[in-house]
Amino acid sequence: MKRILIVDDAATVRLYHRMILEEAGYQVVEAINGIEAMEKSLQESFDLYIVDINMPKQDGYGFLSDLRGRDLPQAPALMISTEAAANDRKRAYIAGANLYLVKPVKPTELLTHCRLLLGEAHA
Amino acid sequence: MTDKSISQEDFYKFREFFYRKTGIQFEDSKRYFVDKRLIERIVATESGNFRNYFVMLRFETSGEELQTLTNLMTVNETYFFREEYQFQCLVASILPEITAQKKDYSPIRIWSMPSSSGEEAYSIAMYLLEYWPGINQWDVEIISSDIDTKILAQARLGNYGTRSIQKLPSHLLKKYFKCNRDGYQICDDLRQAVEFTRVNLMKPADVRAYRGFDIIFCRNLLIYFDDLSRRAAADTFFDALNPGGFLLLGHSESMSRISSLYQVRKFTDSVVYQKSKEAQ
Amino acid sequence: MPFVKQQQSETIGQDERKRVRDCASLELQLSDQNPTARRWAARDLASCPESSAALVEQLQQESDSSVREIILTTLTQLGDELAVASLVDLLRSEDVALRNEAIEAMKLLPDEVAPIMGNLLKDPDPDVRISAVNILESLRHPHVETWLKEVIEQDAHVNVCATAVDLLGEVGTVYSREALENLKIRFSNEPYISFATDLALKRIRLA
Repeated sequence: MKRILIVDDAATVRLYHRMILEEAGYQVVEAINGIEAMEKSLQESFDLYIVDINMPKQDGYGFLSDLRGRDLPQAPALMISTEAAANDRKRAYIAGANLYLVKPVKPTELLTHCRLLLGEAHA
Repeated sequence: MTDKSISQEDFYKFREFFYRKTGIQFEDSKRYFVDKRLIERIVATESGNFRNYFVMLRFETSGEELQTLTNLMTVNETYFFREEYQFQCLVASILPEITAQKKDYSPIRIWSMPSSSGEEAYSIAMYLLEYWPGINQWDVEIISSDIDTKILAQARLGNYGTRSIQKLPSHLLKKYFKCNRDGYQICDDLRQAVEFTRVNLMKPADVRAYRGFDIIFCRNLLIYFDDLSRRAAADTFFDALNPGGFLLLGHSESMSRISSLYQVRKFTDSVVYQKSKEAQ
Repeated sequence: MPFVKQQQSETIGQDERKRVRDCASLELQLSDQNPTARRWAARDLASCPESSAALVEQLQQESDSSVREIILTTLTQLGDELAVASLVDLLRSEDVALRNEAIEAMKLLPDEVAPIMGNLLKDPDPDVRISAVNILESLRHPHVETWLKEVIEQDAHVNVCATAVDLLGEVGTVYSREALENLKIRFSNEPYISFATDLALKRIRLA
């Protein structure tokens, strides 16, 4: 079973994404910010990261650049944020995101992009 | 009349809040444990029901009730070799890294706080003597601090009851303790290995002299502080550490709720926090 | 025994006391070349009630994130009008980390932040309004639910409302029920809003 780490400080957003992904057969782990996400990434491995930008203590950019700079098994990252400015997209890709979506994300949209990033293209 | 019912939704709501605040996450299987303690506090605070209690917990300006509840939800005891996996990590991974980055043979400095009655600091000394070969080449300085002078006096004395020594292997008990009518007396060599000092972590004037540490143990203390105090404490430790130095928190604590100053590191079973080697 | 003792808190303490750490010299040390000196100056300024202006000035040009964190801790401890005003400015910063630090600091200042919350929630910039709702997340203040209810009744921006609903799942009561039901209708084409309002309503009903 593919494992996905959801990094978001909003409990309802984590629950919403979890519900969609679990229903589609993925296993989901949650983290509240970049530091907790790193703690979990050091202890278990994931096939995909779904990362918010604005979070306390360590934001999504900080987490992704930290992750990409480490000698760890790497996985694709989908960044989801409320910010739509082109500059944010650029920063997300520089930090190591593979795709950038603007909130709120519809269930079908989330699943399509997750499957693409997980290499399950025809689903 | 107190309404002692806690609905499933109440439980979820509380669980999310408590996780956000402390990093402690309760599985569904812990429901009974959590409910029991919540009800205990609902009764003690005369809140009448969960809803009123949760509003108080959430909005009370002092944040005192959250600290009381956290105390109740976690087990805080001190005994020799508590959370031993961290001592294993100390000798197997952290000390080799510290000695490799030291440019001279200056002593390795370890700060343990809160000292409480001394079990942690003495455990560190014992662990180094028993399980760290480097002890033959390196000088080590262990300082253990607490705000409470009475408990410090007790720590210096080093006399313990059976509760404190329950997890200690019997050959070490034999080697480092003498049994007397008051309990178990730790040997003088170990008593002299640790310097006990009084420190109020919240007073910059108290902590300014504490610097140049390679390793700081601060386990199961910050979780009981309010948000601002725990952040100030993490800031203080940052300047007490050498670049590349390590900070170890308790098993249920996470820096993710406290500060962004540190890098997360993992060695076998332990997640620890490091001050960047480049930090000035 | 290979254990040594060097720590002499008393003597070092006396040396330190000899060095005058008055407020004016601490403010000067805020721009010292050495980050450790800057951190110590920022930390010690917590006992200088008039130092917010100097701290804010340094914060705006400070490049070391560890110094910034400690300046923000001290500004939070001081919590005066100037400190709060500078935190509000930071909510508009381009730097995400700095913006989030300001949000965290403001969460800890309920009495000081409450009088300006109304304006923040009406700011023309939706990102500032989202930040304001994020402050409410941990603000220990009795008006939190009232503010959130107003947001979901009045704010046109879906993500501002989404952030507010998330929080109403935790603090919402019967008082917000109707507003939640209306929000669900207003954003009926947004599955996330439906999900979040249903969750909040379920919790209100079963509480």
